[in-house]
Amino acid sequence: MYNYIEHGKGATAVSTHQEDPEKYAEFMERIEAGEKIEADDWMPDEYRQTLIKLISMHGISEIMGALPEKEWVPKAPSLKRKLGIMAKVQDEMGHGQLLLRVAEDLMAPYGKDREDIMQDLLRGDLKFHNVFHMATKSWADAGLIGWLVDGAAIITQTNMLDASYGPYQRALQRICAEEVFHAQHGEAIIMALAEGTEEQKAMLQDALNRWWPALLMFFGPPTAETTGSSKQEATIKYRIRKSTNEGLRQAYLDKYLPRIFSLGLTVPDETIHYDEEKKKWIYQQPDWNEFKQIISNNGPRSQARLRLRKIAHENSAWVREALATPVVTA
Amino acid sequence: MAENEKKATFYKTYEVFSRKNDKSHAQHQFSLLAPNEEIALAMAQENFMRREDVIDVWVVARDNIRKMTSEERKQWTKRLDNKDYRNTKGYGYLRKKWREKEQEMLDEKEILSWKEVARK
Repeated sequence: MYNYIEHGKGATAVSTHQEDPEKYAEFMERIEAGEKIEADDWMPDEYRQTLIKLISMHGISEIMGALPEKEWVPKAPSLKRKLGIMAKVQDEMGHGQLLLRVAEDLMAPYGKDREDIMQDLLRGDLKFHNVFHMATKSWADAGLIGWLVDGAAIITQTNMLDASYGPYQRALQRICAEEVFHAQHGEAIIMALAEGTEEQKAMLQDALNRWWPALLMFFGPPTAETTGSSKQEATIKYRIRKSTNEGLRQAYLDKYLPRIFSLGLTVPDETIHYDEEKKKWIYQQPDWNEFKQIISNNGPRSQARLRLRKIAHENSAWVREALATPVVTA
Repeated sequence: MAENEKKATFYKTYEVFSRKNDKSHAQHQFSLLAPNEEIALAMAQENFMRREDVIDVWVVARDNIRKMTSEERKQWTKRLDNKDYRNTKGYGYLRKKWREKEQEMLDEKEILSWKEVARK
């Protein structure tokens, strides 16, 4: 789900592998031939670290992403909707578990595990996705997350279904299959509102207006110059994903803008249009400085959601302690 | 140090396998972290079997699995290119022979259909 990977803090660079030009060449040959790399195969440190950053952020974003939606479980307008959103929240936690397992196996040579991931998150060293820092103000937001946020996630995740790293790619097959349910769950909510009363239509338009910049930001900045850093080159070089941030954003606009317009909705950008010659959407850039602020945990709901995660982690610490097998020392 | 040892004993890796129906083989699903087998089994159902049909679930501590190493996978999984003598590829001419004798070929499709055999 996550496309923007920062350099800097986070999983620290510990070089446990002697870089070996011969092994590197063999590795590149394998991934270029479409072979999959497994956890115990030799891999360059840059590959391992790119994967750790990408997958731990993806995993933790799934978990943090369950929080804005769970706010709507008690307030869902019918039992059917309540069950649907509950199932989705549980799926997101399941996706988080899958992805954290993949990240943990990659981190094992550095002596790091799940507790380190959680502590990195709570300390602010591990970022989570910009969209999950935002408030979910109305029921339309809950529908919009399923339709357009998960839609954006589907675009980025399907782009990695052939990823060179075997365990990640296998996790994504399962995740993408479940995203189909999420998307349709969201569409059903949106469709009811779009064809509902004037008040419901207004609520939906208001939600889209508020979410639009965050949806554009979802794919990350077009180039490293925009925000100072981006690892999109490494993920493409190592065949983890196929498209650039901008390529994915364009694909998203291709697929979703006609649908948005078909529901009688507008986006808060009067300049947006498709340039037939350049074969791409021309749109107003979101405020990338704001993006940096948001993912640095200074977004509208960043601190509240981190606090919720921290409390949950602390409140369940006694369970982990009680269930831990006693260490027998001689 | 004692803190590290304690941590390691809580987060234990289990591999999860399941069977969809009576005819399917156990299939590897994924791995999960759990402090013991019972919780691993409960988590396996929550994590991997929320929608899918399932009639059996296995959890195995990863430490108890002897899998191939990276090197072994490279060497042992490459098939010799001439394995024809182990399959039916060399017997294609039989169909023609049987036809000459006005008989049908008993191929794999035919033989596996005999579970429905009518004769009692």
